[in-house]
Amino acid sequence: MFDFLDRFMPGILEWLLPRASTYAIEIDVLFDVITILVGFWFFLVLGYFFYLIFRYRHREGQRAEYISGETHKQKQAIEIPHYLILICDVAILVPTFMVWYNIKIDIPPPDEEVRVVSQQWAWTFYHAGADGVLGTDDDIVSINELHLKNNTQYTYHLESLDVMHSFSIPVFRLKQDAIPGRVISGHFKPILTGEWDIQCAEMCGVAHGIMGARVFIETEEEHAAWIAANTPKLSEGEMLAAKDENLPEVKEDQNNG
Amino acid sequence: MQALALILSIFSGLLARADYRGEQLYRNCTICHGPDGQGIELQLAPALTNLSEKYLVEQLKKFKSGMRGAHAEDLAGLRMLPMSQTLATEEDMIAVSQYIVSLGSSPIEPTLEGGDPVKGQATYATCLACHGPDGKGNDLLNAPSLINQHDWYQLTQLKNFKSGVRGSNPQDIAGAQMRPMSMLLADEQMMKDVIAYIQTLDQ
Repeated sequence: MFDFLDRFMPGILEWLLPRASTYAIEIDVLFDVITILVGFWFFLVLGYFFYLIFRYRHREGQRAEYISGETHKQKQAIEIPHYLILICDVAILVPTFMVWYNIKIDIPPPDEEVRVVSQQWAWTFYHAGADGVLGTDDDIVSINELHLKNNTQYTYHLESLDVMHSFSIPVFRLKQDAIPGRVISGHFKPILTGEWDIQCAEMCGVAHGIMGARVFIETEEEHAAWIAANTPKLSEGEMLAAKDENLPEVKEDQNNG
Repeated sequence: MQALALILSIFSGLLARADYRGEQLYRNCTICHGPDGQGIELQLAPALTNLSEKYLVEQLKKFKSGMRGAHAEDLAGLRMLPMSQTLATEEDMIAVSQYIVSLGSSPIEPTLEGGDPVKGQATYATCLACHGPDGKGNDLLNAPSLINQHDWYQLTQLKNFKSGVRGSNPQDIAGAQMRPMSMLLADEQMMKDVIAYIQTLDQ
């Protein structure tokens, strides 16, 4: 349905920013539907007001008339536009529910998973690594860099270590709040290779404005090469540190200061 | 004579401008480090005023390049990572560091409990080669001053060095010097002891 509707839309959003996820088109069409309907009424009402101002402008010897709006004909001036706007509301609600269901409720089974941890003022991404399973030794951790494989269905698990943040990837048309103490899962499927912005879209402190990161959408070969180059190799010293009995305390203290 | 007065006034004007630049830039830092540069525990921000200009500039460069603070478990470092990007040039880093040094350092109330300064003094024998017997550090050895610093910050940093959260970036040469030293501290108690001794050096 959205592909069909998109043919009749102006396509300004896509012209401003490419669509790099499967559901980007749905958000764009929804924006277009709302913009067109609201814009139609805005300009119609504005035009009518200007017409009335001009048509009934001040003339010598003509007195203003007081209208109480009680006759049926006078009431129709309110009722007809009111019902028309209600129809437009339904025309907005139907695609809104469809988009909400497709993006927030119906999460497809993932090919890959990624953990996204936000904090003041950086993003940490835990990639599943070569085994494709999160939480194992070969996970690749990166700061402010998210590496994704094109045409792959991802589920993300979003966390916050301190205050509220919002995980926003404009080319995916994705924006999801991160709330401390909760793990919020969602999905996306990249469909366009390239390097794009990630930003925080929730005021989170003094450096909120520079809490940016980059998403790299790579072909299967490029992504495999990136995994091969970045899979952690535990040195002897790091293995000793990993076995250190104080490590859980270290983590706890990190959070507590 | 008039020419000399003019040159002097221009020179002093330039100096005043440099000072003002540092003060202006430091305003970004006050939310976490405080207007007096003494640090705020709630923000995980250490005192800065005890540190030398050279050390401050070096750390700012490390944060900006990602040599320091770009580790997933370095909560405080990750906060500093974007803030360092606000200093566009080395001149800015020098100006803000000069302003911080000009604020003056003073002792900070201890918060840790259970540290034994007597045992810590014996452990500190390893540290004094670089940080000096008075704990004031040595710029030539890239060793910062340890006095007038928050004890919770020192404990966190010792743990960070030991676990590789700090100092494990291959380009961080000074950090790599500190990492093996932190390995000598067998457990948290030893860290607290040596920090308790360092606190006695405050002035």
